[in-house]
Amino acid sequence: MTKTKIRFIPLDAVLIVLILAAGTYLVRRIGVEMDYHWQWPVILQYLVRTDGGSWAAGSLTQGFLTTIKLSLWATFLATFFGTIMGLMRVSHSLFHRLIAGSYVELVRNLPPLILVFIVYFFIGERIMTVFGVENFIRSASPETQSMLTAIFAPPARLSGFFAGLATLVLYEAAYITEIVRAGIQSIEKGQWEAAHALGLSRGQQLRDVILPQALRRILPALAGQIISTIKDSAIVSVISIPELTFQGLELMSATYLTFEVWITITALYFILTFSFSLGVRRLETAWQK
Amino acid sequence: MSTNERIIEARELTKTFSGGVVALDRFTLAVRRGEVVVIIGPSGSGKSTFLRCLNGLEEIDSGSIVIDGIPLDRHRKNRLLIRREVGMVFQSFNLFPHMTARENIDLAQIRVRKKTRTGAAETTMNLLAKVGITEKADRYPHELSGGQQQRVAIARALAMSPKVMLFDEATSALDPEMIGEVLDVMRTLAAEGMTMVIVTHEMGFAREAGDRIVFMESGRIVEEGDAERFFAFPREERTRAFLGQIL
Repeated sequence: MTKTKIRFIPLDAVLIVLILAAGTYLVRRIGVEMDYHWQWPVILQYLVRTDGGSWAAGSLTQGFLTTIKLSLWATFLATFFGTIMGLMRVSHSLFHRLIAGSYVELVRNLPPLILVFIVYFFIGERIMTVFGVENFIRSASPETQSMLTAIFAPPARLSGFFAGLATLVLYEAAYITEIVRAGIQSIEKGQWEAAHALGLSRGQQLRDVILPQALRRILPALAGQIISTIKDSAIVSVISIPELTFQGLELMSATYLTFEVWITITALYFILTFSFSLGVRRLETAWQK
Repeated sequence: MSTNERIIEARELTKTFSGGVVALDRFTLAVRRGEVVVIIGPSGSGKSTFLRCLNGLEEIDSGSIVIDGIPLDRHRKNRLLIRREVGMVFQSFNLFPHMTARENIDLAQIRVRKKTRTGAAETTMNLLAKVGITEKADRYPHELSGGQQQRVAIARALAMSPKVMLFDEATSALDPEMIGEVLDVMRTLAAEGMTMVIVTHEMGFAREAGDRIVFMESGRIVEEGDAERFFAFPREERTRAFLGQIL
Protein backbone atom coordinates (compact mmCIF):
# COMPACT_ATOMS: atom_id res chain seq x y z
CA MET A 1 0.00 0.00 0.00
CA THR A 2 1.36 3.41 -0.94
CA LYS A 3 1.01 6.16 1.60
CA THR A 4 0.08 9.62 0.42
CA LYS A 5 2.27 12.17 2.09
CA ILE A 6 0.32 14.62 4.19
CA ARG A 7 1.53 18.21 3.86
CA PHE A 8 0.43 21.14 5.92
CA ILE A 9 -0.48 24.06 3.64
CA PRO A 10 -1.63 27.62 4.48
CA LEU A 11 -5.22 26.70 3.64
CA ASP A 12 -5.19 24.16 6.48
CA ALA A 13 -4.18 26.86 8.95
CA VAL A 14 -7.00 29.11 7.74
CA LEU A 15 -9.51 26.27 8.07
CA ILE A 16 -8.38 25.39 11.59
CA VAL A 17 -8.73 29.01 12.70
CA LEU A 18 -12.20 29.20 11.14
CA ILE A 19 -13.37 25.99 12.85
CA LEU A 20 -12.05 27.17 16.23
CA ALA A 21 -13.72 30.57 15.76
CA ALA A 22 -17.05 28.93 14.87
CA GLY A 23 -16.85 26.68 17.93
CA THR A 24 -16.04 29.55 20.26
CA TYR A 25 -18.85 31.63 18.78
CA LEU A 26 -21.33 28.80 19.31
CA VAL A 27 -20.32 28.30 22.94
CA ARG A 28 -20.50 32.07 23.62
CA ARG A 29 -23.90 32.37 21.96
CA ILE A 30 -25.23 29.58 24.16
CA GLY A 31 -23.91 31.48 27.19
CA VAL A 32 -25.27 34.87 26.10
CA GLU A 33 -28.54 34.06 24.28
CA MET A 34 -29.74 31.18 26.46
CA ASP A 35 -28.23 32.59 29.58
CA TYR A 36 -26.47 29.26 30.14
CA HIS A 37 -23.80 29.10 32.79
CA TRP A 38 -21.18 26.54 32.02
CA GLN A 39 -20.24 24.63 35.14
CA TRP A 40 -17.63 22.13 34.07
CA PRO A 41 -16.02 21.71 37.51
CA VAL A 42 -19.30 20.20 38.76
CA ILE A 43 -19.01 17.40 36.18
CA LEU A 44 -15.51 16.65 37.38
CA GLN A 45 -16.73 15.46 40.79
CA TYR A 46 -19.04 12.96 39.10
CA LEU A 47 -16.07 11.54 37.28
CA VAL A 48 -13.69 11.38 40.23
CA ARG A 49 -14.61 12.23 43.78
CA THR A 50 -12.54 12.38 46.91
CA ASP A 51 -13.91 9.98 49.45
CA GLY A 52 -12.49 11.11 52.78
CA GLY A 53 -8.97 11.61 51.46
CA SER A 54 -8.92 8.70 49.00
CA TRP A 55 -9.99 8.86 45.36
CA ALA A 56 -13.12 7.07 44.23
CA ALA A 57 -14.95 6.67 40.94
CA GLY A 58 -17.82 9.10 40.50
CA SER A 59 -21.20 8.00 39.19
CA LEU A 60 -20.30 8.75 35.57
CA THR A 61 -17.11 6.73 35.79
CA GLN A 62 -19.01 3.89 37.42
CA GLY A 63 -21.53 4.02 34.60
CA PHE A 64 -18.67 4.04 32.11
CA LEU A 65 -17.18 0.93 33.74
CA THR A 66 -20.57 -0.80 33.70
CA THR A 67 -20.93 0.00 30.01
CA ILE A 68 -17.48 -1.47 29.36
CA LYS A 69 -18.30 -4.64 31.32
CA LEU A 70 -21.65 -4.98 29.60
CA SER A 71 -20.12 -4.42 26.15
CA LEU A 72 -17.24 -6.83 26.71
CA TRP A 73 -19.48 -9.66 27.87
CA ALA A 74 -22.07 -8.96 25.19
CA THR A 75 -19.43 -8.86 22.45
CA PHE A 76 -17.81 -12.05 23.62
CA LEU A 77 -21.04 -14.00 24.07
CA ALA A 78 -22.76 -12.60 20.97
CA THR A 79 -19.76 -13.47 18.79
CA PHE A 80 -19.74 -16.98 20.20
CA PHE A 81 -23.50 -17.49 19.92
CA GLY A 82 -23.68 -15.73 16.54
CA THR A 83 -20.93 -17.95 15.12
CA ILE A 84 -22.76 -21.09 16.20
CA MET A 85 -26.01 -19.80 14.72
CA GLY A 86 -24.17 -18.71 11.55
CA LEU A 87 -22.80 -22.25 11.17
CA MET A 88 -26.30 -23.61 11.65
CA ARG A 89 -27.53 -21.25 8.91
CA VAL A 90 -25.27 -23.04 6.40
CA SER A 91 -25.71 -26.51 7.85
CA HIS A 92 -26.70 -29.45 5.68
CA SER A 93 -29.46 -30.20 8.17
CA LEU A 94 -32.79 -28.50 7.42
CA PHE A 95 -33.60 -28.63 11.14
CA HIS A 96 -30.53 -26.56 12.03
CA ARG A 97 -31.20 -24.09 9.23
CA LEU A 98 -34.79 -23.64 10.38
CA ILE A 99 -33.80 -23.00 13.99
CA ALA A 100 -31.16 -20.42 13.09
CA GLY A 101 -33.33 -18.85 10.39
CA SER A 102 -36.31 -18.43 12.71
CA TYR A 103 -34.09 -16.96 15.39
CA VAL A 104 -32.61 -14.36 13.06
CA GLU A 105 -35.94 -13.33 11.57
CA LEU A 106 -37.66 -13.16 14.94
CA VAL A 107 -35.02 -11.07 16.67
CA ARG A 108 -34.13 -8.78 13.79
CA ASN A 109 -37.73 -7.84 13.26
CA LEU A 110 -38.36 -6.72 16.84
CA PRO A 111 -37.42 -3.31 18.22
CA PRO A 112 -34.57 -3.84 20.71
CA LEU A 113 -36.47 -1.79 23.27
CA ILE A 114 -39.32 -4.33 23.23
CA LEU A 115 -36.80 -7.13 23.47
CA VAL A 116 -35.37 -5.59 26.65
CA PHE A 117 -38.78 -5.54 28.29
CA ILE A 118 -39.61 -9.07 27.18
CA VAL A 119 -36.37 -10.44 28.54
CA TYR A 120 -36.49 -8.38 31.73
CA PHE A 121 -40.11 -8.90 32.78
CA PHE A 122 -40.98 -12.29 31.31
CA ILE A 123 -37.71 -14.13 31.35
CA GLY A 124 -35.37 -12.28 33.73
CA GLU A 125 -37.59 -11.92 36.77
CA ARG A 126 -39.33 -15.29 36.49
CA ILE A 127 -36.55 -17.60 35.40
CA MET A 128 -33.94 -16.12 37.70
CA THR A 129 -36.29 -16.79 40.61
CA VAL A 130 -37.20 -20.28 39.44
CA PHE A 131 -33.58 -21.31 39.24
CA GLY A 132 -32.83 -19.70 42.57
CA VAL A 133 -30.09 -17.49 41.16
CA GLU A 134 -30.67 -14.74 43.70
CA ASN A 135 -30.70 -17.12 46.64
CA PHE A 136 -27.51 -18.67 45.41
CA ILE A 137 -25.82 -15.29 45.22
CA ARG A 138 -27.07 -14.23 48.64
CA SER A 139 -25.74 -17.38 50.24
CA ALA A 140 -22.46 -17.25 48.35
CA SER A 141 -19.20 -16.53 50.15
CA PRO A 142 -17.95 -12.92 50.30
CA GLU A 143 -15.10 -13.82 47.92
CA THR A 144 -17.53 -15.12 45.33
CA GLN A 145 -19.69 -12.06 45.79
CA SER A 146 -16.83 -9.63 45.31
CA MET A 147 -15.66 -11.58 42.27
CA LEU A 148 -19.14 -11.43 40.76
CA THR A 149 -19.20 -7.69 41.48
CA ALA A 150 -15.88 -7.21 39.74
CA ILE A 151 -16.74 -9.09 36.54
CA PHE A 152 -20.51 -8.45 36.36
CA ALA A 153 -22.37 -6.25 38.83
CA PRO A 154 -23.05 -5.99 42.59
CA PRO A 155 -25.20 -8.89 43.90
CA ALA A 156 -28.32 -6.77 44.29
CA ARG A 157 -28.19 -5.70 40.64
CA LEU A 158 -27.07 -9.00 39.20
CA SER A 159 -30.41 -10.24 37.84
CA GLY A 160 -31.01 -6.91 36.08
CA PHE A 161 -27.49 -7.00 34.66
CA PHE A 162 -28.00 -10.51 33.35
CA ALA A 163 -31.34 -9.61 31.78
CA GLY A 164 -29.73 -6.63 30.04
CA LEU A 165 -26.78 -8.72 28.97
CA ALA A 166 -29.05 -11.49 27.66
CA THR A 167 -31.00 -8.95 25.60
CA LEU A 168 -27.87 -7.48 24.06
CA VAL A 169 -26.45 -10.91 23.27
CA LEU A 170 -29.74 -12.08 21.76
CA TYR A 171 -30.07 -8.93 19.68
CA GLU A 172 -26.49 -8.53 18.43
CA ALA A 173 -25.94 -12.25 17.83
CA ALA A 174 -28.74 -12.21 15.25
CA TYR A 175 -26.75 -9.76 13.15
CA ILE A 176 -23.49 -11.60 13.77
CA THR A 177 -25.24 -14.79 12.61
CA GLU A 178 -25.92 -13.15 9.26
CA ILE A 179 -22.40 -11.76 9.02
CA VAL A 180 -20.91 -15.19 9.70
CA ARG A 181 -23.28 -16.83 7.22
CA ALA A 182 -22.38 -14.31 4.51
CA GLY A 183 -18.68 -14.80 5.27
CA ILE A 184 -18.89 -18.57 4.95
CA GLN A 185 -20.94 -18.35 1.77
CA SER A 186 -18.45 -15.94 0.23
CA ILE A 187 -15.74 -18.61 0.21
CA GLU A 188 -15.32 -20.16 -3.24
CA LYS A 189 -16.88 -23.59 -3.78
CA GLY A 190 -13.46 -24.89 -4.86
CA GLN A 191 -12.13 -24.47 -1.33
CA TRP A 192 -14.81 -26.79 0.05
CA GLU A 193 -14.18 -29.23 -2.79
CA ALA A 194 -10.42 -29.30 -2.30
CA ALA A 195 -10.86 -29.90 1.44
CA HIS A 196 -13.47 -32.55 0.71
CA ALA A 197 -11.20 -34.32 -1.79
CA LEU A 198 -8.42 -34.44 0.80
CA GLY A 199 -10.68 -36.46 3.09
CA LEU A 200 -11.24 -33.77 5.74
CA SER A 201 -14.45 -34.15 7.72
CA ARG A 202 -16.99 -31.34 7.51
CA GLY A 203 -15.88 -30.03 10.89
CA GLN A 204 -12.25 -30.01 9.76
CA GLN A 205 -13.20 -28.34 6.48
CA LEU A 206 -14.85 -25.55 8.42
CA ARG A 207 -12.22 -25.16 11.11
CA ASP A 208 -9.07 -25.43 9.00
CA VAL A 209 -10.10 -24.13 5.60
CA ILE A 210 -13.33 -22.14 5.54
CA LEU A 211 -13.54 -20.24 8.83
CA PRO A 212 -9.98 -18.85 8.85
CA GLN A 213 -10.62 -17.32 5.42
CA ALA A 214 -14.16 -16.21 6.28
CA LEU A 215 -12.99 -14.51 9.47
CA ARG A 216 -10.60 -12.25 7.57
CA ARG A 217 -13.34 -11.25 5.19
CA ILE A 218 -15.94 -10.52 7.84
CA LEU A 219 -13.65 -8.66 10.22
CA PRO A 220 -14.76 -5.15 9.09
CA ALA A 221 -18.45 -6.07 9.31
CA LEU A 222 -17.91 -7.80 12.64
CA ALA A 223 -16.10 -4.77 14.02
CA GLY A 224 -19.00 -2.57 12.96
CA GLN A 225 -21.41 -4.86 14.77
CA ILE A 226 -19.30 -4.83 17.91
CA ILE A 227 -19.27 -1.03 17.88
CA SER A 228 -23.04 -1.24 17.52
CA THR A 229 -23.10 -3.48 20.57
CA ILE A 230 -21.30 -0.83 22.61
CA LYS A 231 -23.73 1.82 21.40
CA ASP A 232 -26.81 -0.37 21.78
CA SER A 233 -25.87 -1.09 25.38
CA ALA A 234 -27.52 2.27 26.10
CA ILE A 235 -30.97 0.71 25.69
CA VAL A 236 -30.64 -1.33 28.86
CA SER A 237 -30.86 1.97 30.78
CA VAL A 238 -34.65 1.50 30.55
CA ILE A 239 -34.45 -1.40 32.99
CA SER A 240 -32.38 0.71 35.41
CA ILE A 241 -29.01 -0.83 34.82
CA PRO A 242 -26.64 1.90 35.97
CA GLU A 243 -24.59 2.12 32.81
CA LEU A 244 -23.37 5.32 31.22
CA THR A 245 -26.63 6.54 29.68
CA PHE A 246 -28.63 5.75 32.80
CA GLN A 247 -26.14 7.65 34.97
CA GLY A 248 -26.32 10.54 32.52
CA LEU A 249 -30.11 10.70 32.79
CA GLU A 250 -29.91 10.58 36.58
CA LEU A 251 -27.24 13.23 36.71
CA MET A 252 -29.12 15.51 34.37
CA SER A 253 -32.30 15.39 36.44
CA ALA A 254 -30.25 16.08 39.57
CA THR A 255 -28.08 18.92 38.25
CA TYR A 256 -29.82 20.23 35.10
CA LEU A 257 -26.37 20.54 33.52
CA THR A 258 -27.75 19.28 30.19
CA PHE A 259 -24.90 20.34 27.94
CA GLU A 260 -22.02 19.37 30.22
CA VAL A 261 -23.51 15.97 31.02
CA TRP A 262 -24.24 14.94 27.46
CA ILE A 263 -21.02 16.35 26.04
CA THR A 264 -19.12 14.31 28.64
CA ILE A 265 -21.13 11.18 27.85
CA THR A 266 -20.65 11.67 24.12
CA ALA A 267 -16.91 11.91 24.68
CA LEU A 268 -16.85 8.78 26.86
CA TYR A 269 -18.78 6.68 24.32
CA PHE A 270 -16.58 8.01 21.56
CA ILE A 271 -13.38 7.13 23.42
CA LEU A 272 -14.68 3.58 23.83
CA THR A 273 -15.84 2.99 20.26
CA PHE A 274 -13.04 4.89 18.54
CA SER A 275 -10.25 3.14 20.42
CA PHE A 276 -11.89 -0.15 19.45
CA SER A 277 -12.03 0.94 15.78
CA LEU A 278 -8.34 1.81 15.87
CA GLY A 279 -7.54 -1.59 17.37
CA VAL A 280 -9.45 -3.39 14.62
CA ARG A 281 -7.79 -1.28 11.92
CA ARG A 282 -4.39 -2.36 13.22
CA LEU A 283 -5.51 -5.99 13.25
CA GLU A 284 -6.71 -5.71 9.67
CA THR A 285 -3.41 -4.27 8.46
CA ALA A 286 -1.52 -6.95 10.34
CA TRP A 287 -3.60 -9.69 8.68
CA GLN A 288 -3.18 -8.26 5.23
CA LYS A 289 0.53 -8.96 5.33
CA MET B 1 2.73 -51.26 -15.76
CA SER B 2 -0.91 -52.03 -15.08
CA THR B 3 -2.21 -55.28 -13.64
CA ASN B 4 -5.49 -56.98 -14.33
CA GLU B 5 -6.91 -56.06 -10.97
CA ARG B 6 -9.66 -53.46 -11.28
CA ILE B 7 -9.23 -50.57 -8.88
CA ILE B 8 -12.12 -48.47 -10.20
CA GLU B 9 -15.36 -50.04 -11.30
CA ALA B 10 -18.08 -47.67 -12.43
CA ARG B 11 -21.23 -49.34 -13.74
CA GLU B 12 -24.20 -47.84 -15.49
CA LEU B 13 -23.78 -44.37 -13.99
CA THR B 14 -26.50 -41.87 -14.70
CA LYS B 15 -26.53 -38.28 -13.61
CA THR B 16 -28.97 -35.58 -14.68
CA PHE B 17 -28.51 -32.03 -13.45
CA SER B 18 -31.48 -30.08 -12.15
CA GLY B 19 -31.68 -28.11 -15.41
CA GLY B 20 -32.36 -31.38 -17.27
CA VAL B 21 -28.83 -31.66 -18.69
CA VAL B 22 -27.80 -35.30 -18.92
CA ALA B 23 -24.16 -35.50 -17.77
CA LEU B 24 -23.82 -39.27 -17.50
CA ASP B 25 -25.96 -41.73 -19.41
CA ARG B 26 -25.45 -45.35 -18.36
CA PHE B 27 -21.73 -44.76 -18.29
CA THR B 28 -19.58 -47.80 -17.53
CA LEU B 29 -15.81 -47.75 -17.11
CA ALA B 30 -13.28 -49.91 -15.28
CA VAL B 31 -9.72 -48.86 -14.53
CA ARG B 32 -6.98 -51.33 -13.68
CA ARG B 33 -4.43 -50.72 -10.98
CA GLY B 34 -1.53 -48.69 -12.37
CA GLU B 35 -3.40 -47.75 -15.53
CA VAL B 36 -3.45 -44.21 -16.92
CA VAL B 37 -6.83 -43.50 -18.49
CA VAL B 38 -7.28 -40.25 -20.38
CA ILE B 39 -10.82 -39.03 -20.96
CA ILE B 40 -11.34 -36.63 -23.84
CA GLY B 41 -14.40 -35.13 -25.42
CA PRO B 42 -16.17 -31.85 -26.16
CA SER B 43 -17.12 -29.59 -23.27
CA GLY B 44 -20.32 -30.62 -21.54
CA SER B 45 -19.79 -34.25 -22.45
CA GLY B 46 -19.72 -35.34 -18.78
CA LYS B 47 -15.95 -35.91 -18.38
CA SER B 48 -15.57 -33.73 -15.30
CA THR B 49 -18.84 -34.95 -13.84
CA PHE B 50 -17.55 -38.51 -14.04
CA LEU B 51 -14.38 -37.58 -12.13
CA ARG B 52 -16.37 -35.66 -9.54
CA CYS B 53 -18.67 -38.65 -9.00
CA LEU B 54 -15.68 -40.89 -8.33
CA ASN B 55 -14.85 -39.10 -5.06
CA GLY B 56 -18.35 -38.12 -4.08
CA LEU B 57 -18.21 -34.44 -5.07
CA GLU B 58 -21.32 -35.14 -7.14
CA GLU B 59 -24.04 -37.66 -6.38
CA ILE B 60 -24.94 -40.19 -9.04
CA ASP B 61 -28.63 -40.76 -9.72
CA SER B 62 -28.18 -44.47 -10.32
CA GLY B 63 -25.48 -47.02 -10.98
CA SER B 64 -22.61 -48.18 -8.79
CA ILE B 65 -19.05 -47.14 -8.08
CA VAL B 66 -16.56 -49.41 -6.35
CA ILE B 67 -13.05 -48.15 -5.62
CA ASP B 68 -10.43 -50.59 -4.37
CA GLY B 69 -13.20 -52.87 -3.12
CA ILE B 70 -15.06 -50.13 -1.26
CA PRO B 71 -18.52 -49.30 -2.60
CA LEU B 72 -19.32 -45.59 -2.81
CA ASP B 73 -22.73 -45.89 -1.23
CA ARG B 74 -24.77 -44.06 1.35
CA HIS B 75 -22.55 -45.15 4.23
CA ARG B 76 -20.62 -42.16 5.48
CA LYS B 77 -17.73 -44.32 6.54
CA ASN B 78 -17.25 -45.72 3.04
CA ARG B 79 -17.55 -42.29 1.47
CA LEU B 80 -14.90 -40.91 3.81
CA LEU B 81 -12.60 -43.88 3.12
CA ILE B 82 -12.89 -43.32 -0.62
CA ARG B 83 -12.23 -39.58 -0.32
CA ARG B 84 -9.04 -40.44 1.54
CA GLU B 85 -7.85 -42.92 -1.06
CA VAL B 86 -8.67 -40.83 -4.12
CA GLY B 87 -6.63 -37.69 -4.75
CA MET B 88 -7.93 -34.92 -6.95
CA VAL B 89 -6.30 -32.05 -8.82
CA PHE B 90 -8.58 -29.23 -9.98
CA GLN B 91 -8.48 -26.90 -12.94
CA SER B 92 -8.44 -23.86 -10.61
CA PHE B 93 -5.79 -25.34 -8.22
CA ASN B 94 -7.91 -24.53 -5.13
CA LEU B 95 -4.92 -24.16 -2.85
CA PHE B 96 -5.82 -22.82 0.59
CA PRO B 97 -4.79 -19.16 0.29
CA HIS B 98 -4.23 -18.61 4.02
CA MET B 99 -1.61 -21.36 4.21
CA THR B 100 1.90 -21.59 2.80
CA ALA B 101 2.75 -24.28 0.26
CA ARG B 102 4.16 -26.38 3.09
CA GLU B 103 1.08 -25.94 5.28
CA ASN B 104 -1.22 -26.82 2.37
CA ILE B 105 0.59 -30.13 2.00
CA ASP B 106 0.85 -30.75 5.76
CA LEU B 107 -2.82 -30.23 6.54
CA ALA B 108 -4.41 -33.51 5.48
CA GLN B 109 -1.46 -35.56 6.71
CA ILE B 110 -1.89 -34.13 10.19
CA ARG B 111 -5.69 -33.95 10.29
CA VAL B 112 -6.65 -37.07 8.37
CA ARG B 113 -3.63 -39.36 8.57
CA LYS B 114 -2.98 -38.22 12.15
CA LYS B 115 0.74 -37.77 11.55
CA THR B 116 2.87 -35.68 13.85
CA ARG B 117 4.07 -32.31 12.62
CA THR B 118 7.62 -33.60 12.13
CA GLY B 119 6.40 -36.76 10.41
CA ALA B 120 4.34 -34.68 8.02
CA ALA B 121 7.21 -32.24 7.43
CA GLU B 122 9.43 -34.97 6.03
CA THR B 123 6.81 -36.22 3.58
CA THR B 124 6.03 -32.65 2.60
CA MET B 125 9.65 -31.81 1.78
CA ASN B 126 9.99 -35.02 -0.24
CA LEU B 127 6.87 -34.15 -2.21
CA LEU B 128 7.99 -30.58 -2.80
CA ALA B 129 11.27 -31.95 -4.11
CA LYS B 130 9.35 -34.34 -6.33
CA VAL B 131 7.35 -31.53 -7.94
CA GLY B 132 10.49 -29.39 -8.04
CA ILE B 133 9.66 -26.39 -5.84
CA THR B 134 11.47 -26.98 -2.57
CA GLU B 135 12.60 -23.35 -2.49
CA LYS B 136 8.99 -22.09 -2.45
CA ALA B 137 7.96 -24.14 0.60
CA ASP B 138 7.18 -21.10 2.75
CA ARG B 139 5.49 -19.01 0.09
CA TYR B 140 1.78 -18.34 0.03
CA PRO B 141 -0.21 -19.43 -3.04
CA HIS B 142 -0.62 -15.84 -4.31
CA GLU B 143 3.18 -15.55 -4.42
CA LEU B 144 3.46 -18.51 -6.79
CA SER B 145 2.92 -18.75 -10.53
CA GLY B 146 0.01 -20.82 -11.86
CA GLY B 147 2.29 -23.71 -12.74
CA GLN B 148 3.88 -23.66 -9.30
CA GLN B 149 0.48 -23.53 -7.63
CA GLN B 150 -0.73 -26.52 -9.60
CA ARG B 151 2.42 -28.45 -8.70
CA VAL B 152 1.82 -27.69 -5.02
CA ALA B 153 -1.77 -28.87 -5.50
CA ILE B 154 -0.50 -32.14 -6.94
CA ALA B 155 1.88 -32.55 -4.01
CA ARG B 156 -0.99 -31.80 -1.63
CA ALA B 157 -3.09 -34.59 -3.16
CA LEU B 158 -0.13 -36.99 -3.13
CA ALA B 159 0.48 -36.31 0.55
CA MET B 160 -2.48 -38.55 1.35
CA SER B 161 -0.70 -41.41 -0.49
CA PRO B 162 -3.81 -41.94 -2.61
CA LYS B 163 -4.42 -45.14 -4.55
CA VAL B 164 -5.94 -43.22 -7.42
CA MET B 165 -5.30 -39.70 -8.72
CA LEU B 166 -7.93 -37.73 -10.64
CA PHE B 167 -6.89 -34.77 -12.79
CA ASP B 168 -9.72 -32.48 -13.82
CA GLU B 169 -8.33 -30.34 -16.66
CA ALA B 170 -5.27 -29.67 -14.54
CA THR B 171 -3.56 -27.56 -17.20
CA SER B 172 -6.53 -25.70 -18.69
CA ALA B 173 -6.15 -22.60 -16.50
CA LEU B 174 -2.41 -22.29 -17.08
CA ASP B 175 -0.45 -19.99 -19.36
CA PRO B 176 1.02 -22.00 -22.25
CA GLU B 177 4.60 -21.77 -20.98
CA MET B 178 3.62 -23.36 -17.68
CA ILE B 179 1.71 -26.33 -19.03
CA GLY B 180 4.89 -28.29 -19.62
CA GLU B 181 6.10 -28.22 -16.02
CA VAL B 182 2.78 -29.61 -14.75
CA LEU B 183 2.61 -32.29 -17.45
CA ASP B 184 6.17 -33.32 -16.54
CA VAL B 185 5.07 -34.01 -12.97
CA MET B 186 2.09 -36.01 -14.24
CA ARG B 187 4.33 -37.99 -16.57
CA THR B 188 6.63 -38.87 -13.67
CA LEU B 189 3.66 -40.07 -11.65
CA ALA B 190 2.43 -42.21 -14.52
CA ALA B 191 5.89 -43.74 -14.92
CA GLU B 192 5.93 -44.58 -11.21
CA GLY B 193 2.82 -46.68 -11.66
CA MET B 194 0.20 -44.35 -10.13
CA THR B 195 -3.36 -45.15 -11.21
CA MET B 196 -4.58 -41.99 -12.91
CA VAL B 197 -7.78 -40.81 -14.53
CA ILE B 198 -7.09 -37.66 -16.49
CA VAL B 199 -9.47 -35.26 -18.17
CA THR B 200 -7.48 -33.09 -20.53
CA HIS B 201 -7.37 -31.26 -23.83
CA GLU B 202 -3.64 -31.92 -24.25
CA MET B 203 -3.75 -34.55 -27.00
CA GLY B 204 0.02 -34.88 -27.31
CA PHE B 205 0.23 -35.68 -23.62
CA ALA B 206 -2.74 -38.07 -23.84
CA ARG B 207 -1.11 -40.02 -26.62
CA GLU B 208 2.25 -40.23 -24.97
CA ALA B 209 1.34 -40.75 -21.29
CA GLY B 210 -2.03 -42.46 -21.54
CA ASP B 211 -2.44 -46.23 -21.59
CA ARG B 212 -6.03 -45.96 -22.71
CA ILE B 213 -8.09 -43.17 -24.24
CA VAL B 214 -11.81 -42.78 -23.65
CA PHE B 215 -13.73 -40.46 -25.94
CA MET B 216 -16.99 -39.25 -24.36
CA GLU B 217 -19.94 -37.36 -25.68
CA SER B 218 -23.34 -36.66 -24.09
CA GLY B 219 -22.51 -38.77 -21.06
CA ARG B 220 -21.65 -41.87 -23.08
CA ILE B 221 -18.48 -43.52 -24.33
CA VAL B 222 -18.25 -43.08 -28.07
CA GLU B 223 -14.97 -44.93 -28.46
CA GLU B 224 -12.18 -46.21 -26.27
CA GLY B 225 -8.93 -47.94 -26.92
CA ASP B 226 -5.21 -48.22 -26.55
CA ALA B 227 -3.61 -44.76 -26.87
CA GLU B 228 -1.49 -45.45 -29.95
CA ARG B 229 -4.28 -47.20 -31.81
CA PHE B 230 -6.87 -44.60 -30.79
CA PHE B 231 -5.02 -41.66 -32.30
CA ALA B 232 -3.62 -43.50 -35.30
CA PHE B 233 -6.80 -45.34 -36.33
CA PRO B 234 -9.91 -43.88 -34.75
CA ARG B 235 -12.84 -46.12 -35.62
CA GLU B 236 -15.85 -43.91 -35.13
CA GLU B 237 -16.79 -41.11 -37.49
CA ARG B 238 -17.53 -38.84 -34.50
CA THR B 239 -14.07 -39.47 -33.04
CA ARG B 240 -12.39 -38.59 -36.30
CA ALA B 241 -14.41 -35.37 -36.54
CA PHE B 242 -13.46 -34.41 -32.95
CA LEU B 243 -9.78 -35.20 -33.40
CA GLY B 244 -9.79 -33.37 -36.72
CA GLN B 245 -11.11 -30.26 -34.97
CA ILE B 246 -8.57 -30.11 -32.19
CA LEU B 247 -5.41 -31.63 -33.62
